[in-house]
Amino acid sequence: MTVYKGFLTITRRNINMMILYLVIFLSMAVAAQKITGDNISGFEQVSLNIAVIDRDGGELAKGLADYLSHYHTLVDLPDDPSILQDRMFYREVYYVVTIPKNFEECCLEGEEMLPVTKVPGSNSGFYVDQQINTFMNDVRILTKSGFSLTEAVSDVIENCKEEAEVTLVDKNGFGGKQPLHAFMYQYMPYILISILCYSLSYIMIAFRNPDVKQRMMCSAIPIRSQNLQLVLGYATVGLGVYGICTIIPVLMYGKSFINDPNMAYYLLNSFLMTLVSLSLSFLIGTLVSKEEVVSAVVNVVSLGMSFLCGVFVDMEILGKGVRTFAQFLPAYWYEVANGLLSNNSTFSHGQQMSLYTCFGLQVLFAAAILGVAMVVSRVRETA
Amino acid sequence: MQSTNMIKIENLVKRYQNLVALDHLSLDIQEGEIFGLLGPNGSGKTTAINCLLALLKYDKGTITIFGKNMQPNSYDIKQQIGVVMQNVAVFEQMSVRENIDYFCGLYIRDKAKRRQLVDEAIAFTGLEDFTKMRPKKLSGGLLRRLNIACGIVHKPRLIIMDEPTVAVDPQSRNKILEGIVELNRQGSTIIYTSHYMEEVEQICTRIAIIDHGHVLATGTTEELKKMIKTGETITIEAIALDEALLAGIRKLPHVFELSYEDQILKIKLGKAQHNLVRILNYLQEKDISFGRVFSELPTLNDVFLEITGKELRD
Repeated sequence: MTVYKGFLTITRRNINMMILYLVIFLSMAVAAQKITGDNISGFEQVSLNIAVIDRDGGELAKGLADYLSHYHTLVDLPDDPSILQDRMFYREVYYVVTIPKNFEECCLEGEEMLPVTKVPGSNSGFYVDQQINTFMNDVRILTKSGFSLTEAVSDVIENCKEEAEVTLVDKNGFGGKQPLHAFMYQYMPYILISILCYSLSYIMIAFRNPDVKQRMMCSAIPIRSQNLQLVLGYATVGLGVYGICTIIPVLMYGKSFINDPNMAYYLLNSFLMTLVSLSLSFLIGTLVSKEEVVSAVVNVVSLGMSFLCGVFVDMEILGKGVRTFAQFLPAYWYEVANGLLSNNSTFSHGQQMSLYTCFGLQVLFAAAILGVAMVVSRVRETA
Repeated sequence: MQSTNMIKIENLVKRYQNLVALDHLSLDIQEGEIFGLLGPNGSGKTTAINCLLALLKYDKGTITIFGKNMQPNSYDIKQQIGVVMQNVAVFEQMSVRENIDYFCGLYIRDKAKRRQLVDEAIAFTGLEDFTKMRPKKLSGGLLRRLNIACGIVHKPRLIIMDEPTVAVDPQSRNKILEGIVELNRQGSTIIYTSHYMEEVEQICTRIAIIDHGHVLATGTTEELKKMIKTGETITIEAIALDEALLAGIRKLPHVFELSYEDQILKIKLGKAQHNLVRILNYLQEKDISFGRVFSELPTLNDVFLEITGKELRD
C-alpha cells in the first residue's frame, strides 16, 4: 500500500489549507443563519419615512395623517415642490401625500384621487397606496352606514392599532422556518468543491509528474495496483471530507438535525455532491499541470459555481438567465434538492420525482465529468 | 568475479514513424560490470534504456535480463532493478526521508527492513543532515543524491543510471562517482550513461559507443583506444611556421593530422615509438624556436570523436 500511503502523506501536507476552507465555510454558514435565519422567523411590518402635506386641515385630513403615522414615520416637510423632490431624490422620504383643500368633498364624497408622489415602480409606494385606499374605503363605508365623520375616523384608527396575528405554514416540521442545518447544507457545495479540488488536484499533479510516473512504472508494483491504490486514496479523502461535513451539523444542531425526517436525504444529497466534487478534482488535476495554477482554477470553479447555482444567495434572487445557465451545473441540482428538503417534511409525488431527478442528475454529472477527465488523461498520455 | 550475461539485447529496432531511433542495437552486459553507454544527443541511449525497462514498446528484437525475457509485467525482474532517471523524479511534497521510504516501499514491504535500508541509503548518499527537508530546499547536488538514494535504496542487482551527474558541482560529482563504484563493489551491476567522458573513463569497466541507434564500438577503455588511429597528440606552443614547414611536418612518418592556429601546432600521430623526438629534431634542424611542448595519449574523447565523427555534446 505504498502508493496509498504516499497519497495520504501528500494529503497531510495540505491539511492547513483544508482547515482554512473549513473555517471559512463554518463562519459563512453561522453568519448566514444568524442574519437570514432570524429574519424569517417572525413577521414585521415595514415602516417608511413619509411626508403628509396637509392643505386642508380638516378632521378627515388629520385622521389620515394620524392613521399613516401608526404605520410609518411622518417627516415634517414644507409645502415646497422643489424641497419635496430633493428629499425624495435622496430617499429621505419615500412617499409624499398632498391632502388638497376640500379633501372630504373631493376625495371622500367625490371620486377624486389623492395626489401622491412616490418612487416610481417601488414596492413601498404600492404599500402606502394600499393603506390610504383602505383608510378612505373604511371611512366611506362607515359614514355611509350612518356614523359621523369623527366616529368613522376614530374607529378606523382604533382598528388599525390591532396587530394582525401571522403564523407561518408548517410544511417542514420546523414551524415554517428554515431549519438551521439547511443553511449549512446550502453552503456545503462550496466547501466540498474547494477542499476536494484543492487537495486532490495537488496530489494528482504530483502523481502525474512524468518523471515520477515513469519512475513508478519501473517499480515492482503493477500499474493496476498503483491505480487502485490511487482510487482508494481518492475515496479515503472524499469520505473523510464528507464525514467532517456531516459531523459538523450534527455537533452544531444535534437533535434538531438528527430528528429531521429528511436527514437521510440531506446525507444522500451531500454524498452525491461529494462524488461530483471528486470528479471535478480529477478533471482539474488532469487539465492543470502547474501547482501555482491550481489555487486560481479551484477558486474560479468553486466560487463561480457557488454564485451561479444559489449556494451563496437564494435561488429566487438569481435572474432567469442565470438560473437557466445554472441548470448545466451540478451544484444547481444540489441546491434544488436542498430547497425541497428544507421546505418540506413530506413530499408529494411530483416533489419526490423532482428530488430523485436532482439526485440522478448529480450522479450523471459526476459520471460525465469523470468520463471527460479520463478521455483528457488518455489523450495527454498518448500525445 | 564470475562473468555471466546479465543483460542481452539483440537486434533491437525502435521506430518513431519514419525516424529509426534504434537500428538493430545489440548489447551484452555482464554481471558485476559498470557498463558505460556513450553517445551524442539523439543517438538512442535513453530510448535503449526505456526499452530495457519496458517503458517503451519496440518494433523488433529481444531483451533478456537475468536470463528472462523483459516485458512490461515482468515485475520479478523489475524487483531487482534500480533506476536513477536523468530528471530528478521525487515528490516535492514529501521530505527527503519520506521520498526515499516511498520509493523503497515500491519494492520492499517489510517495514523494519525498509527502515534499515532507508537509513543505509541516507548514510550512503550523505543526506543525514537533510532528512526532514523538502526537495525544493535542496541544492542541485543534494537533489541528485536524493534521486540516487531513491533509485538504489532497495539494493538492486542491476542499477540503471541515466546521466545522474548532470548539473552537479564537481565536489558532489566526485562523491556520486565514488558512491557508484562502491555500489558496484557491493555487488550491483551498473549501466551508466553520461555526457562526461572523464566520468565514464574513470568508473566504467566497459563502454559501448552508440550513434544513430546502433553500437559503433564496445570494449574497455584500453580496447577502444586501440581501435583508433591516434596513438599520440603532440601540442607545441609559440612557434612561427610557414606553409612549407607545415608541409614538411605533414610528410614526417606517422603524422596523419595537423592543425596550426594562433601559433599553436597540434599534431596527431599514429601508434609508433619516438614520435615526439622525431618532431622536435625536425624543428631543430629547421632552426625553429618553440615554447612549451605537450604529448598526450588518446583519451576517450579522441576515441569518440574518431568513431562518431563528432563531439559528444554535438
